[in-house]
Amino acid sequence: MHFNLIHIALLFFVTWNTPAFCEDQNQTNSLEPAFRLNGIKTQDAFGPGKSKALHSTVRLMRNNKLIALGTLINAEGYIITKASSCVGAREATMHNGESFPLKIRKRFEEIDLALYQLISQQVEFDCVEWEEGNQTSPASWVFSPYPGLQEIRIGITSGNPRTIGREGGVMGVMLGRDGKENGGIEINEVVPQAAADRAGLLAQDLILSVDGRRVLRKNQVIQIVSSKDPGDMITLEILRNNKKKQLKVTLGHNSVTFELFNRNLQMSGPVSKRKDNFPLILQHDLPLPKEGMGGPLFNLKGKCIGINIARVDRVSTFALPVETIKPYLKKWLPTLDKTLSKGIP
Amino acid sequence: MPLPFQRILLTFFFSGVIGFSEVVDQQAWEKKVPENRADLAAIQARLQELIPVTQKALVSIEANDGAGSGVIVSPDGLILSAAHVIGRTGVNMEVRLLDGRRTNAVSLGGSEISDAGMLQIKEPGPWPYVKIPKLHSSKVGDWCFGLGHPGGFDIERGLVVRIGRIIEKKDETMQTDSRLLGGDSGGPLFNFEGKVIAIHSRISNEPDQNFHVPIESFQENWEFFREQDLLTFENIEQGGFLGIACEESDQGLVIQSVIPGTAAEKAGFQENDIILKIDDEVIRNREKLTIFISGKEPEDEIKIEYQRQMSTATLKLKLGSRFE
Repeated sequence: MHFNLIHIALLFFVTWNTPAFCEDQNQTNSLEPAFRLNGIKTQDAFGPGKSKALHSTVRLMRNNKLIALGTLINAEGYIITKASSCVGAREATMHNGESFPLKIRKRFEEIDLALYQLISQQVEFDCVEWEEGNQTSPASWVFSPYPGLQEIRIGITSGNPRTIGREGGVMGVMLGRDGKENGGIEINEVVPQAAADRAGLLAQDLILSVDGRRVLRKNQVIQIVSSKDPGDMITLEILRNNKKKQLKVTLGHNSVTFELFNRNLQMSGPVSKRKDNFPLILQHDLPLPKEGMGGPLFNLKGKCIGINIARVDRVSTFALPVETIKPYLKKWLPTLDKTLSKGIP
Repeated sequence: MPLPFQRILLTFFFSGVIGFSEVVDQQAWEKKVPENRADLAAIQARLQELIPVTQKALVSIEANDGAGSGVIVSPDGLILSAAHVIGRTGVNMEVRLLDGRRTNAVSLGGSEISDAGMLQIKEPGPWPYVKIPKLHSSKVGDWCFGLGHPGGFDIERGLVVRIGRIIEKKDETMQTDSRLLGGDSGGPLFNFEGKVIAIHSRISNEPDQNFHVPIESFQENWEFFREQDLLTFENIEQGGFLGIACEESDQGLVIQSVIPGTAAEKAGFQENDIILKIDDEVIRNREKLTIFISGKEPEDEIKIEYQRQMSTATLKLKLGSRFE
């Protein structure tokens, strides 16, 4: 008892605003989960749009693990999804647990979109209905299916629709000063788990050349590497213990490589590898995991306004707007408009 | 301070008025939960109507070790922000309005307990500003929206708006399910009247349970924050010590426990005693009590008016030290 009192008093005076303390004290006076922004009652206010959304989305699986969501775009089972997330997807699962084998039809690397088809003889699939109207204004309601396909997540659009520039590939090293004469450039630090680490580079290695080009200045290395894309391979010649050595490095993504050094990213949990180089995006704040990308984004009317394309951090997700996607699909799927009208009245 | 029965009468009167208006025209954001798309559309329309007005008072604050946000609440440029954004009193900081205008401000006071902080723009103004509501006007369940510069000012991205509801409110903390990220700190949370009800403080591990400084912390301690200092945990440790844990209520600060061996126990305070005044000043805010007590030295004498059951009494006591 004695201890308890002191404990309470200490909490009060020293750390009385820690989360644990507040939660313990406030159980009775907190807003019931069902009534919260993403509570089930608020979800239900979206009406029939909610179940339509869940029916027109699929879960893309690889080795029985969810890797992305997909958006059904016609009754023949065509889906679009985030290309860089769904490599190796073999199977798609519906909201009701039904599964279908998948076939890749086309990848649009430029916008990180992939077109697949669910293989089925008889099924006529539900599909999304595109928003035909003007651009979405900021601070508008949006919602998307949550990966389990039983619930949706709710939020608002925010920030300007905009272009997201290209980031380029990274090795994940901290470079030392410019090299002298033939000394090369020293690696000061190697980011654990990053591309350079996996390729076997070590701190104190001296970089002599990149892809056959001799490098004397730090900036030359940075320039060559960042002109490549994540996933590209480069060849390094290095000097280690006075011996020359060749190493091949498959470049990584800037956004995930330097996560350790960014406080906001540390607090965010896993983000999408590719979250750069998009011609146009809408930003919103739906709480979706990175496996929730590739699914549709709906407005209040229940019309699809885009495809979630990148989880950026704990408060921001990018979606490719319909206007950006349509030209690609129309070229490849000339009957798109006709088939779309079949699914939903 | 009104007597309890007057308070009851007032409450009765107002609840009558509200009860009536509920029938006639209850706004969508006043319902327990939006019931349909029409309610959601009304909430969206209201939000879109309030953003252009409120965003003008938003500032980003560039401090030495990072960026934060704040909101202007008077035409002469008083800014509310977070204690951890201002760091300490008397620091020059550059602030930037949404239209890109830059100006200089100096940090004033605040409190590390609630994380409230103030700054003053040096140029006279007039500056665009937003209003503060009446005391205790926000409650659990209210819809709210936050503005801020997560990750710093970004002209291409523009303003970031996030919507949510108050999920908890108690003493010096408010929690909402509106999302927050670093750099949002110090930014304003508004009610659906466009008035500031809180300042963004800390993010929680759960993205939908973030922490804000309720506006009451500023309102109750306005003079101290504006004229004096930033109350730190170090100040609290070194100042006078009373030795009680208490909770806010309509009547006053209700004592939850008394620590054995402290000034409060020696003076005979008991659980459920209600503190009404100290040195003739009404104190109903827990943070204000701490500011008051830790502003004194150990051994200083204070006068406490308190209520025990139905009777009130006054006593004098000598404060102790935290390290006794």
